[in-house]
Amino acid sequence: MGEKLTCILILAAVSPAYAEVRFNRDVRPIMAETCFRCHGPDKSSRMAGMRLDLRDEALKRLPDGQTPIVPGDPEKSAIIQRVFAADGRVMPPAYIHKDLTPAQKQTIRQWVAEGAKYEGHWAYQPVQRQTPPNPNLNPIDAFIQERLTREGLHPSPEADRRTLIRRVTLDLTGLPPKPQDTAAFLKDTSPNAYEKVVDRLLASPAYAEQQSMHWLDAVRYADTCGFHGDNAFPAWPYRDYVLRAFRDNKPFDQFTREQLAGDLIPNPTIEQRVASAYNRLNRTSAEGGLQPKEYLAKYAADRVRTAAAVWMGSTVGCAECHDHKFDPFLSRDFYSMKAFFADIKETGLMPDRGKNAWGSQIDLPSPEQQKQREDLKAKLADAQARLAAKMQTLEPRRAEWEKQFLARYEAGQLAWHTQRPLSAQSTNGAVLKIYNEEEIDYTTYDGSNLTAYRAPGNGLVVASGPNPDNETYTVTFKPGAGTWTALGVEVVQDDSLPGLRVARGADRMVLTEVEAEADGKKLNFSIGTSNLNMTAPQHPAAAAFDGDPNTGWAVATYNEYSKIVLALRFTQPLQTEAATTVTVRLHQDSTYRRATMGRFRLQLSSGDYPWPTSEKGKEIPDAVLKAMRIAEDKRTPEQKTSVANHFQWASHETEPEAIEVAKVDKDLALLEAAIPRVVVSEATTPTETRILARGNWMDESGEVVQPAIPAFLGKLDTGGARATRLDLANWLVSAQNPLTARVFANRMWREFFGIGITKALDDMGSQGEWPTNPELLDWLAAEFMKPEWQAEGTHPWDVKHLIRTIVTSAAYRQSSMASPELQERDPDNRLVARQTRFRVDAEVVRDISLSVSGLLVDRFGGPSAKPYEPDGYLATLNFPRREYSASHGDDLYRRGVYTFWQRSFLHPSLVTFDAPTREECTINRTTSNTPLQALVLLNDPTYVEASRVFAQNILKHAHNWNDRVDWAFQRAVDRAPTAEERRILSDLYRKTFEQFQHSPAEAAALIHEGEAPVAADLKPTELAAMTTVARAILNMHETITRN
Amino acid sequence: MKPLPGTDTREIHRRTFLGRGIAGLGLLGLNSLLNPRLFAAADSHGVINPLHHPAKAKRIIFLYQAGGPSHLETFDNKPKLREMHSKPMPESFTKGQQIAQLQGKQLVCFGPQHEFKKFGKSGQEMCELFPHIGSVADDICIVRSLWTEQINHDPAHTIMNTGSIIPGRPSMGSWIFYGLGADTEELPGFVVLLSSGRGGQSQPIAARQWSAGLLPSKFQGVKLNSVGDPVLYIQNPHGMSAQVQRESIDAINALNRAEYSALKDGEIQTRIAQYEMAFKMQTSVPGLVDMSKEPKQVLDMYGAQPGDGSFASNCLLARRLAERGVRFIQLYHRDWDHHSAVKSGVALKAEEVDRPTAALITDLKQRGMLDDTLVIWGGEFGRTPMSQGGDGRDHHIKGFSFVLAGGGIKPGITYGTTDELGYAAEENPVSVHDFHATMLHLLGVDHKRLAVKFQGLDVRLTGISGDVVKGILA
Repeated sequence: MGEKLTCILILAAVSPAYAEVRFNRDVRPIMAETCFRCHGPDKSSRMAGMRLDLRDEALKRLPDGQTPIVPGDPEKSAIIQRVFAADGRVMPPAYIHKDLTPAQKQTIRQWVAEGAKYEGHWAYQPVQRQTPPNPNLNPIDAFIQERLTREGLHPSPEADRRTLIRRVTLDLTGLPPKPQDTAAFLKDTSPNAYEKVVDRLLASPAYAEQQSMHWLDAVRYADTCGFHGDNAFPAWPYRDYVLRAFRDNKPFDQFTREQLAGDLIPNPTIEQRVASAYNRLNRTSAEGGLQPKEYLAKYAADRVRTAAAVWMGSTVGCAECHDHKFDPFLSRDFYSMKAFFADIKETGLMPDRGKNAWGSQIDLPSPEQQKQREDLKAKLADAQARLAAKMQTLEPRRAEWEKQFLARYEAGQLAWHTQRPLSAQSTNGAVLKIYNEEEIDYTTYDGSNLTAYRAPGNGLVVASGPNPDNETYTVTFKPGAGTWTALGVEVVQDDSLPGLRVARGADRMVLTEVEAEADGKKLNFSIGTSNLNMTAPQHPAAAAFDGDPNTGWAVATYNEYSKIVLALRFTQPLQTEAATTVTVRLHQDSTYRRATMGRFRLQLSSGDYPWPTSEKGKEIPDAVLKAMRIAEDKRTPEQKTSVANHFQWASHETEPEAIEVAKVDKDLALLEAAIPRVVVSEATTPTETRILARGNWMDESGEVVQPAIPAFLGKLDTGGARATRLDLANWLVSAQNPLTARVFANRMWREFFGIGITKALDDMGSQGEWPTNPELLDWLAAEFMKPEWQAEGTHPWDVKHLIRTIVTSAAYRQSSMASPELQERDPDNRLVARQTRFRVDAEVVRDISLSVSGLLVDRFGGPSAKPYEPDGYLATLNFPRREYSASHGDDLYRRGVYTFWQRSFLHPSLVTFDAPTREECTINRTTSNTPLQALVLLNDPTYVEASRVFAQNILKHAHNWNDRVDWAFQRAVDRAPTAEERRILSDLYRKTFEQFQHSPAEAAALIHEGEAPVAADLKPTELAAMTTVARAILNMHETITRN
Repeated sequence: MKPLPGTDTREIHRRTFLGRGIAGLGLLGLNSLLNPRLFAAADSHGVINPLHHPAKAKRIIFLYQAGGPSHLETFDNKPKLREMHSKPMPESFTKGQQIAQLQGKQLVCFGPQHEFKKFGKSGQEMCELFPHIGSVADDICIVRSLWTEQINHDPAHTIMNTGSIIPGRPSMGSWIFYGLGADTEELPGFVVLLSSGRGGQSQPIAARQWSAGLLPSKFQGVKLNSVGDPVLYIQNPHGMSAQVQRESIDAINALNRAEYSALKDGEIQTRIAQYEMAFKMQTSVPGLVDMSKEPKQVLDMYGAQPGDGSFASNCLLARRLAERGVRFIQLYHRDWDHHSAVKSGVALKAEEVDRPTAALITDLKQRGMLDDTLVIWGGEFGRTPMSQGGDGRDHHIKGFSFVLAGGGIKPGITYGTTDELGYAAEENPVSVHDFHATMLHLLGVDHKRLAVKFQGLDVRLTGISGDVVKGILA
């Protein structure tokens, strides 16, 4: 009841009684809600053969003799009898719980009495440029003021200048104004001072970042594939395309064409091909056992839903299973739309690793990278040729080698010697414990089952306790007298280790450098290899001893269930006496945090064939052994190659050539890993598209359809050729399509007023809302497509012009203060007699803290960044098992738009402030206000660090209390504090200062949160107390609110 | 009634919290809102107020067995399948049906790998691996005729939780929290707990499964972690004592009150209230998760060791959450995906879940809470009567089993059947939406009337279908 009352009040506020009832404005919304589900377009659910959405149908006499509507004669009209019925015949029937109010019933009666005049749905009528009622005003103001006058209301006065610059800066850039910008604006007395600010902001890269954020929601851009293992896929260059498009004010029609069909544009540029990634941003699955047809249907349906929502503001998705119940979209329209995308090359199971991962893509080397790549490829070919030539010279000895080698193998002479460590120490705090004879629990995974058992450690070293980001393990052992050719590092798997079951964190284990010495004498390595099933190219064995701490050998894929060993061959064989102590240092300084070994053993080989293994009898891999035991002429080419490779590994003479190959190979792999890649659309022969009855992908009996736009909106003229995605894109931005410009203009309006002209941003259909000011919406749409007002220097489909027109209007510049009567009359501000106050978006909440504190790094574009995130947040992900690994340095402080978007576990601070997961197109974010938001702003290390750095800057920039609070307030909220605010903060400072004086350890802990350097010249207690003050300011409602 | 947040625009949400979201309470002001105990007599603190009909259940504990438990080794005995073991699966069963990893393989019958027996006075038949659940046989209802339409884990979880495979729909816990609110001011109304089995079959579970989707994020499930912070960001920053935190929140609220007195914006009052609630959560959550004070016999009954993060500990924690007024408690136990070694795999799962499941039902009963707590045990689908790889079973959607207890469910009965080979639900099939409709019905909610407007549609947990399963109501 309470709710109904409110609804009526709202309606009363925005629709004063009109003399004449109009179908679109007054009747259609009622019928769409209550009648059309059984008497509308969907024939499968139509009852009594009655159809009310078309006039011709509604006037037809039914078989039972009744006529639904008799124009001008309500009493003879069946619908009026039923609507007003007091008994069980009442329509709509009670069981659908859609009772009509007396006012609604009266409206229908009046409409019938006035002749039952139908109108086409407003959004489907061509956009008509409306003449502004007052030529002297910004047309937006002309339309708004005309309406306000009709309502007997007045616009609010202009907001004060501080409010204004904060509002427009937050809206256009997602960042608060810099104090100097505010000061300059306050001083600027020129008549166009405000317009100058607007132009400066529109020209800033931050404008593009802010606009992109919402576009990326709509196109469901993310960094991971969304289903199953939710692994990262190459998408961010598309995000940068969007950023550049907004920065450079790319015409929206071109922007549209490039995304939907960049690859189909004749001779597409790289840029246009990158844009076509749009079609590939849908979620994909690599789950074994999925049915490809089912997933292809899911992917295609997603594309139809997204394109329809983004450009048409339409819920065509409903028509996947049935004709739309309320709008004239038919199932055939859905599948005809789907057919546009049937040319996109893809597979139902989209591999998430290996060389076929993520399907069609292009790489984007810079010119320097391209040159390096060509050089390295040439060098590699040379090096490989030299190695092959060298091997050729050894070939005559191979048969003899094989014979001897097999004999030594069979005699057990190839076995590795697992070492019993004497000591094992860490540099950064991890506790290393040695298990020689002692028993320990193992839980190992073989790819399908876990096995738990207890056994002696046999030289096992286990890390526990503190878990720092980087570690160096130093292990000593005495091998006894002997001659050794290689060191082996056995990485021991255990289910307790979160990173691929081998590392204490991250999604990989990285050995950045292995060093060894014998009695203080350094041992050098010449060449190395590992027994991984799948070596990550950028992590070759050679990277573990190249002297470069930024590179390393890694276990980086999740199908490594065997006993993993890295074998590094000594440059010179190592001679040891009984007393010789060998020291091995395992550096793990990767930028991936906690990519550190949890369990390992060390071993030495005395053979000339130290092939990595930790299992006795497996010194020669099974396949190679098998090949060697076959007569030369019976071997397959693969077998020949593998025997040759092993012969080469065993032949010291080839070392110089092999080292050169490994080195160039590594350089090339590192370069390739650094070259950006992006998924793209690649057209192939279109697959057949059938109408699937009830959306059932297994039902292949439906009619085959060709690409087409929804029939009621017209027909594409392609001269008989099959219509393409490019034809679809061209139509979307053509004058024949009434939707795109309206949809976009309405969405823009929402960004600057908090609510759209029609608030249903994603539904321009009959279930949406009649626009509060249709003339204004149509004028904006027309102006967007073809600027006429202050049109100098503009172009068609000019996004910046549209935005500039909005934010320079008087309506936008109004104060948001509402008188109690205005608040009551128009609580949702649909009439725009004032501005609106609302919380900023999730990313901007963080951007504000970073910006105010001084931490923000404003680098434009680039790979996605990973801010701090709580441990264990990804614990229920699998394939692979992994831990999050935050970025370092600048990437910790980049704008939210660059945050790595993990669809199944989006960063919890973003989720808490209502950012969408982008698993699906999102046009309209919610804005909630919850206790969890308080916990984020208070306790998330990002905000604690920002508070501390803000405090450092406060202490440095001003030297007495009042100046400090002034300075802080100016930065955070662009104004001076009130006396009361000063008092509140000074009390907080005093109280917390006392606390920290009593517990200096707490002060030290607080100020060391985060990686940003702590100002050494500040007293920790003062800094800690000021941190609480800064934190209070960053937590203020005003700080995260746009007024 | 026309539910609200529909289009999710900013202006509606702002009033959602203070006014219409807690329908009818708006005029009573913030204090009442923040102190739900003032409404101890009310059945609902959400948008469904009053309830559509008297509720039987006040809260739900859903013991979600993720991965797809084999119905054929748990609650659905199939002697005929045992007889047919190793024989080809009759094509009449499988022709034209969805199959996951067995696509293109020869389909061979695979008999139940464990014996079944009858339990309790009611003589309910269950696999003998579950003697503890057997000991409460007379308190539970076995439903053998569930079916779903999604054959891969992720979409199957999504439809089980949200009634739809399109991401962005609210999960059932969010719907219920939204509809009914919660009886706690210190804890979220919808709490999620996760545990992993020891068998290594832990398929991923996405946060989407407890997302509020298109509802405001206030209604999302809050995951209680057994490792690290029990609730994300619940711990004060390093070096910040409870006192400094309290003083900071006091200062923040004082600053916000100053702003409120200038602007009279209700959203600011809400913000102030949320900081208070956040502080309350910070002080109450540690006590909630600290189970060290539970009597030894209770810990033993569950087989729980405080802090081990096991399913048993989570069952005990679920009872503690239920006692504290949480509306919807969902426990995920992963590791039921037995493509291979189903025999040993299910036995291991039984070791992990049998005792605590029965203990929870017994414990609730002893405390007089079973009558108004609906306990649900089940997963996203079942497993094939056909063998996979000779010792496993593939995903299966045409028929599988659930167990329900308490909260207005008829105890001691078995409802519905699958065909003689355990392939398809035969008698009284129960769709996922039927299950949802029944669950809401027990809470006093008509599933057709719990809806929000989104993209022009009335979005419901049950979509456009779903019938209350009357045969299992007490």
